[in-house]
Amino acid sequence: TTGDIDDEIPVAAKSAEDRKAAAALSSLDTPRDDDTTVTKDVDREAVRKAMDRLAGAGAANAAAAKKGDDKQAPKKVIKVDQADVTLLVDELELSKIKATELLKAHDGNVTSALKVYITPPETTTAT
Amino acid sequence: MDIRLLHPSDIPHVQHANITNLPENYFMKYYLYHALCWPQLSYVAVDISRPKKTPYDYPRIVGYVLAKMEEDPPDGVQHGHITSLSVMRTHRRLGIAEKLMRQAQRAMVETYGAQYVSLHVRMSNTAALRLYRDTLKFKQEKVEAKYYADGEDAYSMKLDLGFIREQIIDEEGDDAADEGDPVGE
Amino acid sequence: MPQPLTSKESSLFRQVIRNYEDKQYKKGIKAAEQILKKNPKHGDTLAMKALIINSQGKTDEAFALAKVALQCDMKSHVCWHVYGLLYRAGKNFEEAIKAYKFALKLEPDSQQIQRDLALLQIQMRDYQGYLTSRKAMLTSRSHIRQSWTALAVAYHLMGDLSEAESVLTTYEETLKNPPAKTDLENSEAVMYKNSVIAEQGDIQKALDHLESAGKHNLDRLALLELRAKYLLQLERKEEAAEAYRALIDRNSEYKLYYDGLTTALGLKLTDHKERKDIYDGYAEKFPRCDAARRLPLDFLEGDEFREAAAQYICRMMDKGVPSTFANLKHLYADDSKKETLRAIVQKYIDRRKSDSSEETQTNGDASKGIPAALYFLAQHYNYYLSRDLDKALEYIDRAIELEPKSVDFHMTRARIWKHYGDLQKASDTMEQARALDTRDRHINTKSAKYQLRNNQGEAALKTVGMFTRAETAGGPLADLHDMQCMWFLTEDGQSYARQGKYGLALKRFTTIYNIFDVWQEDQFDFHSFSLRKGQIRAYVEMMRWEDHLREHPFFSRAALSAIDVYIKLHDKPLVNGMNGVGEAGGDDAAERKKAAKKARKEAQKAEREAHAKKNEPNKLKDADGEAKKQDDDPEGAKLAATTEPMNDAMKFVTPLLQFSPRSIEAQIAGFEVYIRRKKYLLALKCLLAASALDKEHSQVHGQVIRFKLAIDQDREALAPKTAEIIKSEFTLLPAS
Repeated sequence: TTGDIDDEIPVAAKSAEDRKAAAALSSLDTPRDDDTTVTKDVDREAVRKAMDRLAGAGAANAAAAKKGDDKQAPKKVIKVDQADVTLLVDELELSKIKATELLKAHDGNVTSALKVYITPPETTTAT
Repeated sequence: MDIRLLHPSDIPHVQHANITNLPENYFMKYYLYHALCWPQLSYVAVDISRPKKTPYDYPRIVGYVLAKMEEDPPDGVQHGHITSLSVMRTHRRLGIAEKLMRQAQRAMVETYGAQYVSLHVRMSNTAALRLYRDTLKFKQEKVEAKYYADGEDAYSMKLDLGFIREQIIDEEGDDAADEGDPVGE
Repeated sequence: MPQPLTSKESSLFRQVIRNYEDKQYKKGIKAAEQILKKNPKHGDTLAMKALIINSQGKTDEAFALAKVALQCDMKSHVCWHVYGLLYRAGKNFEEAIKAYKFALKLEPDSQQIQRDLALLQIQMRDYQGYLTSRKAMLTSRSHIRQSWTALAVAYHLMGDLSEAESVLTTYEETLKNPPAKTDLENSEAVMYKNSVIAEQGDIQKALDHLESAGKHNLDRLALLELRAKYLLQLERKEEAAEAYRALIDRNSEYKLYYDGLTTALGLKLTDHKERKDIYDGYAEKFPRCDAARRLPLDFLEGDEFREAAAQYICRMMDKGVPSTFANLKHLYADDSKKETLRAIVQKYIDRRKSDSSEETQTNGDASKGIPAALYFLAQHYNYYLSRDLDKALEYIDRAIELEPKSVDFHMTRARIWKHYGDLQKASDTMEQARALDTRDRHINTKSAKYQLRNNQGEAALKTVGMFTRAETAGGPLADLHDMQCMWFLTEDGQSYARQGKYGLALKRFTTIYNIFDVWQEDQFDFHSFSLRKGQIRAYVEMMRWEDHLREHPFFSRAALSAIDVYIKLHDKPLVNGMNGVGEAGGDDAAERKKAAKKARKEAQKAEREAHAKKNEPNKLKDADGEAKKQDDDPEGAKLAATTEPMNDAMKFVTPLLQFSPRSIEAQIAGFEVYIRRKKYLLALKCLLAASALDKEHSQVHGQVIRFKLAIDQDREALAPKTAEIIKSEFTLLPAS
């Protein structure tokens, strides 16, 4: 496994080629001090402002997203029959979560969930 | 035959070409390392006339050059290095190796300011020696004893890329007036 | 409860960490034990010791110890972090993420934990989680470009392109001065931003950005290619044509550039003459160029085709280029071109012959011409669209007569025998070819492949062993395995499958499966490394490729073969005396169990023997002198001893159907497994998909009938809903 590569640099690598490859790969995940790449040209004040804006935008986005959720969420409380979930888990070998999602996507209608699931994509778009 | 830049998705077939043709082989990750560190430098030759057999056919690689920049060069001079190059036996004599090399060399200068490019070649590999020495004008630097796993010696070779730098300056002659423009916005 | 350490012990603890980072595991353990002598319940030290033990390969022991550490100190972020690291090492990424999150809750300012968490999130494609982590990381390291780029990448990968662009712009605005022209990181950042703009579909904006910010970009090729593409998309045809001409001047062997130029010039596909003129110009300009001479053959017809093809072929024959046929065979889809090509080569031979009889040969190279032409015709008659094997053999023998030492000619002779179905002769002939150039690995590879096709596994291994590294413990096979040599593993597995050695066959296919896991894991280091290197476009490209890694034919070929073996195991369990006994046999289940038990015993025996073998002198050791992990089933006996072959097959079926749904072979194989498992709806899903791909496929026809029979037989066992769906959706048979 690659996870072991770091530990596998042979004491006496078989050839110069191998040594090069091994050394390069082992250096990949060596954490280095990122600060070496700091650009001296960065305007600290501008960064601060940018961060503020980002935080603001993030909060606004989150609020907007939440709002969106609020708008959508109460509309649909889809009831899913546990027996249907079990059927999907059994017949389609889906996880419980996936099965529930699939049923919800079909408003809890197990027949349509099953039908769409087994229909090849081309046909679905055609009809 | 297309000659084009190597993409990550080409790697399984590049690895296949390598292990089919050469005794020096590498993990996929080493190819990835080249493709992700110096994505401008490695090139492939692709057989585009192969009829597709499945919807998931990948471009068939018949030749490749795997190239890099030397990290922390001991001589302090920016330079490129050819890690591996090969062309499938069925597609030799089309000048593919030379064409791959020329693309890689140019990119080394353009993107990374390489002063020269180096490589190793088996002393017994006369075909490769002919390409590097006679066609591409590499100079023999020294012999590296027992460089290869099977004990064979390698020639260490070098090509000064100054001629490409000059070529670029020539080509951009018209552009020279713009040189003073600031970069970025 | 956490125990405070004395200052001496604290410095010892720091040493443990250093030792771990420097991979000085033995020293690290010693130091840890020194601390534990006085503070046996010091959670952090126990955790660090567990981490080191794990690095030494003792996974189980490490986990047990890490649990003890946690019991000692539930509130230690070190303990939780280590717990996560152990899960991560064991590739249980979901549990690792949970542990990291816990650690982070305890120590929200730890950049290391945050970093480890972020890496796992992106590896697992938890974009939302990654975004959150990246935002946090930006807050603590907002003064470096990487942090901003990483946040942009997070948005980019989750599909929020405009947000990605705006993050990049925000960083740019914090710069006091424009970066130097030679600043590689900036150069790439500009191109990355350009790709984000273009992906949003605003080509004009992308072009403007390219021509201003990207004007002197260090990635010259990308700049030229993108500019040409944008100009063409914007229908600025004159400039586009000029841009494509510049590209062809750089590299005259790329079809895409010629296509771009043709389109930019507004030429219609039917403007043969005008199009040909363009190519002719380049053929003249670049005497060694192949594309400009070959590409017109794709669109030319009739006499124009004949003339151009004759020119092309004569040139190639004169030079003795071995790939001439390979470069032209795609034209064989057109019957008239196929015949024209043959006639041209025949004429070439006739003319050369008369030339040489008059002894007017001035060019020494001309001697290559006739053998090359005979070689072409041999390949022509060997090709499936124009096959006449007797003629092929005749031509290749004539070519060999002229050049008895040509490896290429002998290779083709071997291929002809293969097509005759004489695998022995094919293998022998390829071996003759190999003997002509023992230093060339390509012919060595071919010879080994033909030996495998002829089920000469041992001979093949000996052949490849001439080029694998002699010192690799475990011999050539181990080296090929280490080097992820897909072709050999696949061919070897298929050869074992043909011989009924199902264990070894499954072993090889499983190895390929595992190599794909490694390839997926290979991304991991690049999540941080690529940011450090600043090569973002290549990283994004890799991420997208890795997302559908297993659609690669290397995977599907192995998967299909493995599924086939599992089906054989299911239909005819692998037991002496059981072979050939039909399903109808009364005590089938009991017999099978007994058989499986026996097989398992044999597997254990094989394992013990292999183990003994591995303990012989030249065993493999890694840097720390630790023996490499033993393979506990080298012969695949355990794999073949399965009592549930159909369940085991799912390991291959699931990714195959997920990543190659448009492969009819995949759907056919999926059906075979599902119908045996009585998963009728899933079998029907495969059947419907296969039939949508190719209604006329003979195997699909067979499966339709078998599906009908199976559900008729099993009608009573079907869930009512299932029966209902099958009734409405299974319409592939006319209602009876």
